[in-house]
Amino acid sequence: MATVWEYLPYMFQGVVWTFGLVGGGLALGFMIGLPMAIGQVYGGKQARAPIYGYVWFFRSVPLLVLLFLFYWGIFPASGSKLDPVATSIVVLGLRSGAYQSQIFRGSIESVGEGQLTAARTLGMSKLRGIYHVVLPQALRISIPGWVNEYAIILKDSAICFALGVLEILTRTRYVVMATMEPLLPYFIAGAVFIALTYGGTELMNVIYERIKIPGLIGKM
Amino acid sequence: MSFWDTFLPSLLQGWLITLAMLALAIPISVTLAISLAIGRVYGKRPVSLLAAGFVGLFRGLPLIVTLLIIFFALPKVGVYFAPFWAAVLGFIFCSGAYQSEYVRAAIRSIDMGQSLAARSLGMSKFREVIHIILPQALIRAFPGISNEIIYLILYSSLAYVVGVSEMFAVSKHFNSLYFRSIEIFSAAAVVYLVMATTASVGFRRLENRLRIPGLEVAR
Amino acid sequence: MSEAEIVLKAENLRKRYGEHEVLRGISFEVGRGETKIMCGPSGSGKSTALRCLNLLTTPDEGRVWLEGTDVTAPSTDINKIRQKIGFVFQEFNLFNHLNALKNVSIGLEKVRKIGKDEARKIALEQLRRVGLEEHAEKYPAELSGGQKQRVAVARALAMSPVIVFYDEPTSALDPHLIGEVLEVMKELAREKMTSLVVTHEMGFAQSVGDEMMFMVDGRIVERGTPRELISHPQYEVTKSFFERIQELYGSER
Repeated sequence: MATVWEYLPYMFQGVVWTFGLVGGGLALGFMIGLPMAIGQVYGGKQARAPIYGYVWFFRSVPLLVLLFLFYWGIFPASGSKLDPVATSIVVLGLRSGAYQSQIFRGSIESVGEGQLTAARTLGMSKLRGIYHVVLPQALRISIPGWVNEYAIILKDSAICFALGVLEILTRTRYVVMATMEPLLPYFIAGAVFIALTYGGTELMNVIYERIKIPGLIGKM
Repeated sequence: MSFWDTFLPSLLQGWLITLAMLALAIPISVTLAISLAIGRVYGKRPVSLLAAGFVGLFRGLPLIVTLLIIFFALPKVGVYFAPFWAAVLGFIFCSGAYQSEYVRAAIRSIDMGQSLAARSLGMSKFREVIHIILPQALIRAFPGISNEIIYLILYSSLAYVVGVSEMFAVSKHFNSLYFRSIEIFSAAAVVYLVMATTASVGFRRLENRLRIPGLEVAR
Repeated sequence: MSEAEIVLKAENLRKRYGEHEVLRGISFEVGRGETKIMCGPSGSGKSTALRCLNLLTTPDEGRVWLEGTDVTAPSTDINKIRQKIGFVFQEFNLFNHLNALKNVSIGLEKVRKIGKDEARKIALEQLRRVGLEEHAEKYPAELSGGQKQRVAVARALAMSPVIVFYDEPTSALDPHLIGEVLEVMKELAREKMTSLVVTHEMGFAQSVGDEMMFMVDGRIVERGTPRELISHPQYEVTKSFFERIQELYGSER
């Protein structure tokens, strides 16, 4: 039986997959969440109801249930043959979109109405106004909330072990089974997650400090 | 017997286990959160560092890893927990850590003058915290805490990894037998949806009851 | 004055914050029934002095006696002492989560351990005394500044203190609300409630103040009756201060 140390490279390779899940989920969530937020703030009642329904659904069902629902149920039924990684990214993304939409909505709303009005008096259409004036401010204000979302998705990515994605936790469990040694592998996995969580958020905070708009408050 | 005749009763049983875990984890995690926050704000250096370390640890670890460590790794050092209790303990630690951040922020947001006025009446630090600071802080922390509780309701599904026969475990089991995935997981989804929504509505009602003019429940 | 009539005695109080010495040896006494006024420019240390007297701020040097008990001695139970000192703050500091009645009664219930009904009765009586019994159920946010401060006075009085401290009680109030608070304070002074008042209100000082102490840079520069200090100040610095006050605040209240 090999020792845990020999499996370390194997375990650390999982970090790549983890970041794949996290990156994919965050990106998809961004592409879904930002338009939804704009729709919620500027759209009419027609737009708001389905958006609210989407947000409500993806925030009221556990990730595990969603993963299995899509992997075993929805994707096979609709004919698409998505593998565990793709399914995980899609589900993480759909879910993150719901959460990110609320982050962006809050930020957009906190960019006062006056900003858009001023833009329109300059002759900009509503869309241009949103794009050139509101969004740049709103996105910067969103950063703290978004960094938090990173931390959350990072930890949620571990749940995708249930679909067999070869991220950190899945590999850790294999190592535990292979070495019959549960203490060390799980502690190492834990340490890795803690490092990625705090290291990642610290890094993003540093970047945020650089690009912060002076005077515009973003709660950290 | 039809599929639903076997599945639904089992799902119900799983749901009862879920409720049992939550019934324990929710109140205890709130208590832990308040204790941790008080420890960090008012405790002496060793206490506040310990509390900060605890919070940092359980906010950095994914809940699933915490559960696995408690159930699989701890026995190696002689600490054994049955699946149900391992899960409940993990929930308490993890949710308690997250909740404590809200309580701590709320305590620190209470104006110094409140403390001065309390002490000037002759209240000891203990009385001041219990009667003046905590009531206001808990009202401020309420939205954050209720949010975390709703997360807990959903994340209770992770207990299946340590072998608890809660709702998700039951669903997974039936899925591997019948492969009626959409029906099975939709049913589970519906139950969670109802639980989360009921809790959400309930918390909002409670929040309105607790509303005190001037003590805005900061969102 | 014999020893028995001195309620509060402060001796050589000193306090520094880093390099800055805020109090440079303050000494004075307050006799029973006296209304003593402390005034002076901002930064003179008046508020700090008040807070040192009940140890809300710990003085670096100096001693304080309340009715003969050494407040500053380590063995003294400061909470017991504070029960005997009423404190009215500039920013009111009413407990936001409690209505007016509970604000007044909470000290009685939780510190004095008086029963709920008894405490409630006393609280209502104090609110009546300051003219606010109809607002007993209101929360601080629903009250005007003047009303808040009067509740604060009631809260301090409910504990039956032997002396009441007022730390610039009207400075945070809109001008038209100052009068109602000063009225309450004047009434208490007439009832011979021993008081130590930090204030700019010279009209109030002249009408009920027994002695006034003028402070500059952490020292008491002059003492005397309010009338003496205002009309015949000994020092130039005192004179210019009162002239400025007259300019800024105009008519007496």
